[in-house]
Amino acid sequence: MLIVVDPNSGVPVYRQVIDQIRFHVSTGLLSPGDELPSTRSLSTQLGINPMTISKAYSFLERDGVVERRPGRPLVVKAVAESESSARKADQVREALTPAVRVILQLDVTREEASRTFEEMLKEGIDSKSEKPES
Amino acid sequence: MNIIEFKNVHRAYVKGEDVVKGITFGLHAGEVVGLLGRNGAGKTTLIRIAMGMLEAQTGTVRLFGLDPRVEPVEVKQRVGYVSEDQVLPAFMRVREVIAMHRRLFKNWDDEMARGLVERFRLPLESRISGVSKGQARQVALLCAVSHRPELLLLDEPAGGLDPAARREFLETSIQLLNETGTTILFSSHHLNDVERLADRVVLIHEGELLIDSDMDVMHEGYSIALVPYEANGDGAIRRSLARHDHCIAVREKPDALHAVFSLPPDRARDVLGEQFGIAGAHCRTAVLEEMFIELVEGQS
Repeated sequence: MLIVVDPNSGVPVYRQVIDQIRFHVSTGLLSPGDELPSTRSLSTQLGINPMTISKAYSFLERDGVVERRPGRPLVVKAVAESESSARKADQVREALTPAVRVILQLDVTREEASRTFEEMLKEGIDSKSEKPES
Repeated sequence: MNIIEFKNVHRAYVKGEDVVKGITFGLHAGEVVGLLGRNGAGKTTLIRIAMGMLEAQTGTVRLFGLDPRVEPVEVKQRVGYVSEDQVLPAFMRVREVIAMHRRLFKNWDDEMARGLVERFRLPLESRISGVSKGQARQVALLCAVSHRPELLLLDEPAGGLDPAARREFLETSIQLLNETGTTILFSSHHLNDVERLADRVVLIHEGELLIDSDMDVMHEGYSIALVPYEANGDGAIRRSLARHDHCIAVREKPDALHAVFSLPPDRARDVLGEQFGIAGAHCRTAVLEEMFIELVEGQS
């Protein structure tokens, strides 16, 4: 599972871990029943404090993304289709927030902004290299 | 009980100028705290007081509830210490330095020491005088952690190390956190490393504690506001900002007045609008490095 932490991004490290795991679940890279790496191995792999991973995992558990079973690794929880699309909608909303902020500041018309957006969707920008700045 | 506890610690230089002016904070078990501050802020003094190398003139320091000046051996058996200016005996071979520490510590873990020798690829037969600065620091780290201390005190441990050696250092600390649940207090100017390792930061400035905050709160609960000069008037705004409870630093920069608030950006924006009549101030969160600069430069 690919998780990258950037301590220069200004986004708290635990948030970065949560966002990326959620993203992997939404894209299907992580499927229901898949095991998450242990706190220990992920903290070593990323070079970050294990408490940060625990914190991220607790949030994911609270939000019903993963479930804890006694003495076993955390696994990705199965969710209903509706729940899954609601999550995707949330992620889209979050990804678009900085764009909307800029659009409002630039004072361009809705039509112009939408047109650019449609064009970009059509071109199919590489979603990974276009991660919104935080 | 906290693993380490500083209570109203004061310490002056022999010549009389105060270096540490009443610092109070503690670390509970398993916590990792980054001790930040400019050169001369008092970080080294504070860590040396914890090690019992210096005495607090007033106030107390307790490690595991013990006074490091009264029970130095008991305390040191449970602590690992690495500092930037630590000197290992130059004439000794790496192997001998390790053997010496092994004899000193009751809980020495041979397997861990061997693992670190391999990981750092240490030349056991070389004399300390013949190894690089980075390798000497790695020997010091090995000696500081191989008795699996409950508390690690690191004074600018990565100072002068190249990025690869710094990462090794970080990973060794993480290994210790994972395996032993060690409590760590470390000072560092590498704020990137602090972001990775610390779950709390303590910032001292000119001997006083300026910030004691969870790392995540630092990111989400503090903000930098850029107040345009049109709103600044004759400096009155600057002065009244400086008096505001949630404004902890202000400084004049060519572009704007920079103010640090202990509030998230939207609340800082509200405060500026409602209490100072300043609309359109740009408020945002910031990475630790930027926050550090605004905080220490913005103290009047």
